[in-house]
Amino acid sequence: MQKILKIAQREYIEVVRTKTFLLSILMTPAIIAIVIFINSLTQRSITGPRPPRTVLVADMSKELTGEIKASFDQYNTSNPQRQILLQEPATDEGFDESAKKKVRDGQLDAYIVLDKDTVEGTGKIHSFTRGTNIAELDLLSTAENLLNSAIVNRRCKVRDISPELLSELRRRVPVERMDIGSASQQKRLKEGEQIAKTMVSFFFMFLMFMGIFGMGQHILTSVIEEKNSRVMEVLLSAVSPFELMAGKILGLAGISLTVITLWAAAAIGTAYYGASHWWDVNIELPAEIIPYFVIYFVLGFLMFSSILAGIGSVCNTLKEAQSLMMPITFMFILPMVAWFNLAQHPDGLLARVLSFLPPLTPMVMTLRLASTPPPSFLEVFASIILLAAFVPAVMWLAAKVFRTGVLMYGKRPGLWEVIHWLRQR
Amino acid sequence: MNAILLEDVCKSFGDVHAVNNLNVNVPAGSIYGFLGPNGAGKTTTIRMIMNIIRPDSGRICIFGDHSTEQVKTRIGYMPEERGLYRKMKVAKVLSFFGAIKGCNARDLARQVPQWLERVELVDWADKKVEELSRGMHQKLQFAVTVINEPDLVILDEPFSGLDPINQDLLKDIILQMREAGKTIVFSTHVMHEAERLCDFILLINKGKPILDGRLDEIRSGYRSHTIAVELEGDTSFIKTLPMVRQTESQGRRMEISLSAAADPQDLLKELVGRVKVKAFEVKTPSLHEIFVRLVGKGNAEDS
Repeated sequence: MQKILKIAQREYIEVVRTKTFLLSILMTPAIIAIVIFINSLTQRSITGPRPPRTVLVADMSKELTGEIKASFDQYNTSNPQRQILLQEPATDEGFDESAKKKVRDGQLDAYIVLDKDTVEGTGKIHSFTRGTNIAELDLLSTAENLLNSAIVNRRCKVRDISPELLSELRRRVPVERMDIGSASQQKRLKEGEQIAKTMVSFFFMFLMFMGIFGMGQHILTSVIEEKNSRVMEVLLSAVSPFELMAGKILGLAGISLTVITLWAAAAIGTAYYGASHWWDVNIELPAEIIPYFVIYFVLGFLMFSSILAGIGSVCNTLKEAQSLMMPITFMFILPMVAWFNLAQHPDGLLARVLSFLPPLTPMVMTLRLASTPPPSFLEVFASIILLAAFVPAVMWLAAKVFRTGVLMYGKRPGLWEVIHWLRQR
Repeated sequence: MNAILLEDVCKSFGDVHAVNNLNVNVPAGSIYGFLGPNGAGKTTTIRMIMNIIRPDSGRICIFGDHSTEQVKTRIGYMPEERGLYRKMKVAKVLSFFGAIKGCNARDLARQVPQWLERVELVDWADKKVEELSRGMHQKLQFAVTVINEPDLVILDEPFSGLDPINQDLLKDIILQMREAGKTIVFSTHVMHEAERLCDFILLINKGKPILDGRLDEIRSGYRSHTIAVELEGDTSFIKTLPMVRQTESQGRRMEISLSAAADPQDLLKELVGRVKVKAFEVKTPSLHEIFVRLVGKGNAEDS
């Protein structure tokens, strides 16, 4: 045990001190931050100030002029920084080619033609625009909404209904959603909080994924490096292969725990701050799942890193290892790909089945624990037992491969050869 | 007491018999040489002793113990393929390997500087391993091997890659260790190294033991009946002596081969009466000669 701890300690210190490790720690949050930043930039370009745009509206029915003008005026008064200037058509003809040309040349931002029978019949609104980027689509949808409300107002007028009466009739009943889930007290959910809740469950799964899959990969590098630097045989003269493997896994598990604690702290800090300052929602973190998270993490990490230690031991280069990694990578990505479905139906058949596939258990169960409704205690218990039984079996097999593999140089052994090793005492 | 005992050990890799029915008995407190040409099975044997690979059949005991794992902390092993953590500092590497070989921190605080001193790497203690030259790397590797002050030291080709000065440094340390009662086993294919150090040798070829025993006994057993002399006077009569098989003149020196039953003392008596003897040497065969003779013959038998 002393030796295992010593190897773990070295592994921890040596990996933590490398620059690549520092980069990999900072990389993930940096990428997330950049994505959020870019996202908020585009968000701002839709809601923030912009120069006025000009729209030419040709109304074939000729009866909407007043309503359209009123509608646009109202919009411009309430959005002084995002004006949409209304232009009257020069001719009475519909589908004016010169207007289309102006749109193409950039003199106009959009050209919209209303059919004759939009008020009473099935006429359409025809929009002509230059491109289909987000800004153009945003302009069009705003303008089209304004025209629609103008048409509705006109219909009211024709039937002698006051627009105020209409809006009174159409007034929506406010909804108050309550979460009576696990906690005894009911909580009011603000709009957006439900989305936040889903994101929290995703966040936990992502953390599990990065902790196990992202950090677990270090063991591959570590084993292959030791093989290549021929330090392996010196190590094996002092410790047994199992001690070596166990020490490595332990050290890396420590690193991984450190990293995900840092990430979680940073993310939770940002989320709390951001939630109250920017989005005005309360993000609730299910603190009660943390012990389960740790259990699933430890078991999942042991399993994954043992498999990788086995793979690393039979390979001479990272490139060779990569091809063997393919099926494993695929397996671990699966819950990420299926995330949306799983988050929507956390107690659905798919979620339940995946929960009991040991390699996927940690991620799927974390997601489910952070979702509503959470899985039953029985399911949690059973999945932990299954995983806990599976892990030693995997480690045992991996240790056997590791034992023979670490001293093999040259050609990578085939599958049959590896199976033969497994049969050896 | 035997430090290492191998009984009928066999190991094959596919169709190749790397080690075939090998019996080895390394007495404690001796220097034991595994000799043989490249591919003879030396490294395989050593790896089996270290329990890095397992024999197909046979029995291996170390200090009377059947499990190498239990006595690992009493063994220092330097593999043929040298390797250390390149990014770690020299002193750190030493104390790490000391720790996994079961030394406690207090002993290491004493032993690490002491060994750095002995292999003349004190000035490099805070340098990274990758900054060392090949020779220095080799010496550090040796220090790593013996940092736990093991009772049994196994060195696979310890002298390869060392210059003569460092080779002598290493030999001195090995001899000092024997003085301290340690057992040293090393493999080599360079015969004069073994000749200068070993008490016992095992000569293997193609996985089979060819020669096994005390070095001096082996050498006297392979006396070549050749005498080198330097004489002044008329030497033509020597050829006609009954005990002489043939002579060969090399300038002033002359090599005389005696017939199998002859005693060199009788030759000396004959010579002293007739010529002035300036030098008289009964040549013992070098290990190199024995090696070439035996291995060459073995190869001839096979082909």
